[in-house]
Amino acid sequence: MIELHELTKDYGTTIAVNKLSLNVAAGEIYGFIGPNGAGKTTTIRLMGGILAPTSGNIIIGGLDMAKKPVEGKKMIGFVPDRSFLYEKLTGMEFLRFSADLYDVKRDTFSQKAQNLLQQFALWDWADELIEAYSHGMKQRLIIASALLHDPRILIIDEPMVGLDPAAVHMVKDILKELAANQTTIFISTHTLSIAEDLCHRIGLIHKGTLLAQGTLDELKHIAKLGEAKLEEVFLTIIKENTFI
Amino acid sequence: MNTILSLLRPRILSAINSLRTDNKRNSWMRIFMYGAIGIVFWTGTFIIFYRVLFYFQSVQDFGSILAMKLMSMLIMTFFMLLLFSNIINCLSHLYLSQDLPLLYSMPVSSKDIFISRWLISTFDSSWMIVAFSLPVFLSYGLIYKAGIIFYVMFLVAIIFMCLIAAALSGILVLFGAIILPAGRIRTILIILGVIMVLILILVLRLTRPEQLVNPDSFASVVLYLNSMQTPNSPLLPTTWITDAIKAALNGEVKSCLLNIALAGTCAFMLIFISSITAQAAYFMGFSKSQTTPQRLFAPIKYKGFSWESLLNFLPRESKAFAVKEIRTFFRDSAQWPQLFLMAALIAIYLYNFSVLPLDNTPIKAIYLQNLFSFLNIGLAAFVLTAIAARFVFPAVSMEGEAFWIVQAAPVSTKNFLWIKFFLYDLPLIILEEVLVVVSNFLLQVSPFMMVLSTITIFCFVPAIVGMAIGLGAVYADFKSENPAQVVTSFGGFLFMVLCFCLIAFVIILEAGPVYYIFMANLRGQNISLLQIIWSTVSFCFAFFLCLLAIFYPMYLGEKKLRIR
Repeated sequence: MIELHELTKDYGTTIAVNKLSLNVAAGEIYGFIGPNGAGKTTTIRLMGGILAPTSGNIIIGGLDMAKKPVEGKKMIGFVPDRSFLYEKLTGMEFLRFSADLYDVKRDTFSQKAQNLLQQFALWDWADELIEAYSHGMKQRLIIASALLHDPRILIIDEPMVGLDPAAVHMVKDILKELAANQTTIFISTHTLSIAEDLCHRIGLIHKGTLLAQGTLDELKHIAKLGEAKLEEVFLTIIKENTFI
Repeated sequence: MNTILSLLRPRILSAINSLRTDNKRNSWMRIFMYGAIGIVFWTGTFIIFYRVLFYFQSVQDFGSILAMKLMSMLIMTFFMLLLFSNIINCLSHLYLSQDLPLLYSMPVSSKDIFISRWLISTFDSSWMIVAFSLPVFLSYGLIYKAGIIFYVMFLVAIIFMCLIAAALSGILVLFGAIILPAGRIRTILIILGVIMVLILILVLRLTRPEQLVNPDSFASVVLYLNSMQTPNSPLLPTTWITDAIKAALNGEVKSCLLNIALAGTCAFMLIFISSITAQAAYFMGFSKSQTTPQRLFAPIKYKGFSWESLLNFLPRESKAFAVKEIRTFFRDSAQWPQLFLMAALIAIYLYNFSVLPLDNTPIKAIYLQNLFSFLNIGLAAFVLTAIAARFVFPAVSMEGEAFWIVQAAPVSTKNFLWIKFFLYDLPLIILEEVLVVVSNFLLQVSPFMMVLSTITIFCFVPAIVGMAIGLGAVYADFKSENPAQVVTSFGGFLFMVLCFCLIAFVIILEAGPVYYIFMANLRGQNISLLQIIWSTVSFCFAFFLCLLAIFYPMYLGEKKLRIR
């Protein structure tokens, strides 16, 4: 469902992403981990169509994002790392705006929006302006809006930032359920325990280059570690810096 | 004192570092361009004032009175501008800046934060007024052959005036923040907007400029001279400033020093009061401003009717953007005073046409009516440029950090920009056409001028809106603390220059043909073949310029946003 070929983003002074290639299959949860400034958010923004790559291709659901960005984006549910929204809209108005852009059927919108707002514990705040929401509430609203159009691919940058433990638990359950229903999920995170819990495969990026990828066991093997937590694997691979 | 200097350092370093960014050439070019424009304005102001004062000098007795009256009016205007600009800047620096929570988390007193912010606000609000008052008073100095003491005293007086205005604004804003409900600091802006409108209307009614060309309105010259020489209240700081400068101009050192001392002690007393008030009230007001704002007006809902249904004719994604844009625009209370102000200016604009003393002028009324009507096209286009600069140019930047939503949405950048274009184009066409048609009715112009005006404005609106949206996208600033201020950036400046060029070109292209057609109609003659060809080419070229102004900036804007 997601194919990245030799993807590069050069900001002029730094190469944020350097010839990155990877594939994520339908129903797979792919965790993208790396230290600060590794190129995770840039990769996510490239995939979401927010940044234009310097070179390389992004294929989403078989569509080249450079050639058919609008069609490609229709398949994606995008959750950025920072929760900037239209502060002067209410939660419900924002969902309707989103539904209109993603062409969600009008007759099902109200029920869907209500279900999602209830699921994310935002129903009581549905008619309040977003400027009155806390950071966590905004994050929950963004996730709810990303799920509104039943995306085939979910791209999430730091999904648990600002969420309370109950919300983290709920989001994890939702993501697992979505993957079980063949939704492809690409998650970038710093929280290694989440990657460990959720992801079928994990990719490790450092200085714009993919150093290693695979299941947790495969990564342990690559790092030449036996029984180890992802944290140790992460630190070992980053330290060595030459696995792929 | 060290703490205040430390608090000022980020601002100073940011200004220095902005010259050391990656795009060094670009920033130097901007400085050069702004500098050149500044020098042109500065020189222009000097030349105009020098000539006016020189003319006044040639009028015996009366000239000096006029020059002094002009000075007191100028100082009053400068003071009002300083007051208003300081209130807006104080609000923004003291309560709305994004770095304030960080500063409050540091071990510094709220008084120190206040003073550092107040100093920045005073500088931001005053430097331009001081800079542009220099050529005015330089021309006074040269005409009246004043010595060095005049220039020194003038500088001291103008600095005290800036300090008085800034301290007064600081105190007003501090009290406003305590009195107003939590999270409604911006509401002050609305109140200020309304006050501004009232002042403008009051000033307009009181000055009645149309009377100046009506000789019947003056009962006697003595009465007029008496009213010109009426002294201002001795309790007003502007009176001390004016008297100090006048005294310095006439070489009356004692009177000058007395007035300077009055202004200086008043300034320092107000600064002292503001710092005492800040110690007691600044944190309280800041804390209130941080709480969740309540909606000022509850939404009004009628059974079975929603205003959104009026937009049902639009395609779904366009309607979504339109509804979002209208909601976010009208719910942002910072926009309201601007709307009030714009409405007041338009009312004054039309009022001016209604009171033009066309019958009392020596020139034939029909010429003047139609000349004014033709010039009115340009004036209406300038009004449009001002509105577009304030509301349309920042439209793309207003998406702010939430622009990711548009980028991630399945909507092409081109569609996004064109939706914005039509959202602003339609209401502005209606507004401008009403403006031109009503003013033409007031002028009682010929049918030809009426048709020409409405068609030209119909072409100008999309051209200027296209440039505003397109260039607004090219120079979009999604990280600005106040996106509405992007119009003061280089892009905004470029937009205004290009709009003025477009308006000037179109007006020049139309002027020749309009004159021939108008004169031929008046004399009942036919226009020659050459004139027909010339007119056709001119009108076509003007139309082509408008088309170019719509499509090329929109193309550039789309390209720029796509490759971000």
